[in-house]
Amino acid sequence: MLATLYRYEITMLFRDARTILIAVVAPLVLFPVLILMSRAVERRDQQRVEEATYRYAVIGSEADLASLLIERALEMADPDSGLAPASFVEQEGSGADSLVRIGSLQLAVEGLSPEEYRRIRAEEAANEDSGGVDITMEDVLPQVPVIRIHYRSDRDVSRAAMERLRARLVEVRRLHRDSVYRAHGLPVTERVGVLESQNVASAAREGGALLGLILTPLLLFLMLSGGSIVAVDAISGEKERGTLETLLTTAAHRSEIVNAKQLAVITVGVAVTVINLLNLLVYVVFGLIDLPQNLAVQLSAVSLLVLLGLFLPLTVLVSSALLLLSGYAKSYKEYQMYFFPLFLFFIVPALFATLPGMDLRSAIALVPVAGVGVGVREVLVGEHDWLFLALAFLSTGITAIGAARLTERTLSTERLISGVDLDEAGLRGGPDLFPRRVLRWFGLMWVLLLVISLWMGEELGLRGQLLFNIMGLFFVGSLLMIRTYRLDPVAAFALRMPHPAAWFATLIGAPAALVTGIGVAEAFQRIAPVPERVLRSFGELGVAGDTMPLWEMVFLVAVVPGIFEELAFRGVLLHGLSRRLRPVPLALTVGLLFGLFHMNLWRIPPTAYLGTLLATVVLLTGSIYPAMLWHAVNNAAALVPVELDWVTEDYKLPLWAYPVAAAVLVVAFTVLWFTRRPYPVPQRPATASRADGRAPPRP
Amino acid sequence: MWVEGLTKTFYDESRGEVHAVDGVSFQCHPGEVLGLLGANGAGKTTTMRMLSTILRPSAGTAHLMGHDVVAEPEEVRANLGFYSASTALYPRLTARETLEFFARVNRYPPERVAARVEELVHRFSITEFQNARVEKLSSGMKQKVSIARTVVHDPPVLIFDEPTVGLDVINALEMQEVVRALRDEGKTIIFSTHIMSEAEKLCDTIAIINAGHILASGSLEDHRRATGKHYLEDIFVYYVRDGGTSSLGRPDAGGVASGADGPIGVLPAPES
Repeated sequence: MLATLYRYEITMLFRDARTILIAVVAPLVLFPVLILMSRAVERRDQQRVEEATYRYAVIGSEADLASLLIERALEMADPDSGLAPASFVEQEGSGADSLVRIGSLQLAVEGLSPEEYRRIRAEEAANEDSGGVDITMEDVLPQVPVIRIHYRSDRDVSRAAMERLRARLVEVRRLHRDSVYRAHGLPVTERVGVLESQNVASAAREGGALLGLILTPLLLFLMLSGGSIVAVDAISGEKERGTLETLLTTAAHRSEIVNAKQLAVITVGVAVTVINLLNLLVYVVFGLIDLPQNLAVQLSAVSLLVLLGLFLPLTVLVSSALLLLSGYAKSYKEYQMYFFPLFLFFIVPALFATLPGMDLRSAIALVPVAGVGVGVREVLVGEHDWLFLALAFLSTGITAIGAARLTERTLSTERLISGVDLDEAGLRGGPDLFPRRVLRWFGLMWVLLLVISLWMGEELGLRGQLLFNIMGLFFVGSLLMIRTYRLDPVAAFALRMPHPAAWFATLIGAPAALVTGIGVAEAFQRIAPVPERVLRSFGELGVAGDTMPLWEMVFLVAVVPGIFEELAFRGVLLHGLSRRLRPVPLALTVGLLFGLFHMNLWRIPPTAYLGTLLATVVLLTGSIYPAMLWHAVNNAAALVPVELDWVTEDYKLPLWAYPVAAAVLVVAFTVLWFTRRPYPVPQRPATASRADGRAPPRP
Repeated sequence: MWVEGLTKTFYDESRGEVHAVDGVSFQCHPGEVLGLLGANGAGKTTTMRMLSTILRPSAGTAHLMGHDVVAEPEEVRANLGFYSASTALYPRLTARETLEFFARVNRYPPERVAARVEELVHRFSITEFQNARVEKLSSGMKQKVSIARTVVHDPPVLIFDEPTVGLDVINALEMQEVVRALRDEGKTIIFSTHIMSEAEKLCDTIAIINAGHILASGSLEDHRRATGKHYLEDIFVYYVRDGGTSSLGRPDAGGVASGADGPIGVLPAPES
């Protein structure tokens, strides 16, 4: 079935002669023509500028000096011997400045006395509203006449005239200075010493670094434009033609239809990419495109395989996104309208690799597309950080799988056919819709948190960040969700009393969980050592603590998160997901999401571990309160011993502490299990056929 | 085909909840044409789309050859041929390729596809233009290919949703002949129309649908007896405009409309 759908999809595409012509053949033919034309124009332009007669005038109180210097300058050979001989012609000086402004003259050379120059600069500074000439400026102002060259930077001939005259005048000044030195008996040597810098990077490494900057954005550009040829027609085109309804009434499964279309998008996208890259290669071979000098890229077979591995999920993600767009758009026109934002959505993260200091060994590995972009750059310079390459692969891969599944669901969306949105849960809204929206809310909160920590972190300070993130974002976000979806606050926040034994389990479990959490963090650090700068950021908490009383630290770091993070994560998030997931995946998902909110890669494993334990506590006790206490005790136990100088920050727990803590944790959860008051899972929404209250009759 | 309490509620931003189809029930059997007669916007197309699994019912259920439209959509579609004015053809495939493609995607045995296509090419007089691309065909030719496409996998159930809309008289008559022939072959046919003469000529059972409800259902003779009116147009106006009722009325509010006898909730064994 898949093969049939795919075959016909490709057959129909190849029969669309105009599309093939415009999308594939035209660029192949037009590119060389355009490149040749632009090179011809560039050469002609350069020749015109070089061979032009540069008209200039000399003005100012020191015009004689300026004329003398220019005369000498024009007598000497052009310092740049590669240019055509320059032809300078002097013109009448009156109104020279305005003649330069209107373009009749290329240059006006003004000779100024030191006093005049000082006055002019002062006026200029006053006009710029910079408070006049300051002392520093006074110090550096010359005590000798000044030659000012007036030119127009927007006129290439004027600019060339200025550059060529200036180069000669500088040379004249150097010769004059040397002659003065000699006249006073000072030795003038050509060389007082040579400064040389030694680049230890191999040519292959340099080439790789350069190629790494452009490869991912270039491939994405080609994939997006190539894949679009099929994608625009795949769903939105079928909608517009009326063939989609015909196709959807066949026995083909929705996933088969989507997979076939996706394969077609990938095939054409990859084909267009390869054709265009080969095309570029041909231009390079024939010298139409100049590569940087000494560009050399050496790739081992392993590196090549890693590159292909990294591009694979990217290709799937691009094709899914294009199909998704095609499904969402009601027509070709709408598709074209949405294409540019989608294009930016891919290209901008891919350009992260060009940012200075961007290192794969950071949270960037977890950002889809961006992680691959940075990973590709590192592979091209010969570095294989396997763990982080795997993370980059996984982050983009998981996103690609999610996008592919979303695309499959697009075809089941009735809006495609009916023109209106029918969504049973959407229709009922409220609590029935919440399980399907809760992840979007937390996604939005994650983005807000990222933005705040990146751009406002320093301004807000530790106190501000903690209060804003935890109370502002999590608590207000939770309340908004409750209000929007008309949730019962008692159920959403799990505000129920647990079995009394749960308190005992919490008090022994929380410190034990902290110790085992430290074990998790240390185990992760063995796989991915913490970089120096991350360690420094960990230490900032301690520095802030020095300026804050202990009670405030405990309040901000233990009590506030204990209450408000629990209400958000083990409250509304757990409540929302409980209808969709079974208990074990539910606890793991809540834990992982909690970990991801800690942004820093090295903090994710221990916090995800803590989040999973806390979710389990809520699921076993049916109550948020023990989890709140557990969370607060955990954070306080991590903070207080250091603040009171009972232990140092780099204190290492003895090895025996880990198995003991694990045993205590087992005891705590055993107590919770035997005294459990299970979390009440909300009823699933009634299915369509049962919505009328009648049992569906069996034929 | 067995339909019970089929309901479709849309949410439209400007109109709010819209009950496009509201508790429609009927049965249709092999060798029978059930006509859904209604004005534009009565709920015919939405009903058809639910039966063809494109839309999911908000409530109620429908079974086709024993398969549930919600639980087994692929099986339902494999047993179904769906034709409507909005089911267009791929312009860049030839007529023959179109038939081959739809036979394959409807899971027709691959070894029999060529023979089946050949048979339909002759039956629907497609021979002359079988290798021409659909985009080059006239609307009459396209109609023939479209009907052949609908039956290419030999489905036992056929749905024709206003098939004669936009056709000239000759092509509309040809379409009616095709439907009649298919009924004689024992196909179960649901035929929606707002053209009275078509319903009179073709349908064994006529269900009059308005505002998402079936107002009355029965043979033309049943309708004449129940309303005392002779012409279907008058009968239609009696129910839809004048709000008249009869012994055939409002089956979807309680009973099951059917042209044939049969207990509620029990499908007769399909005739081989």
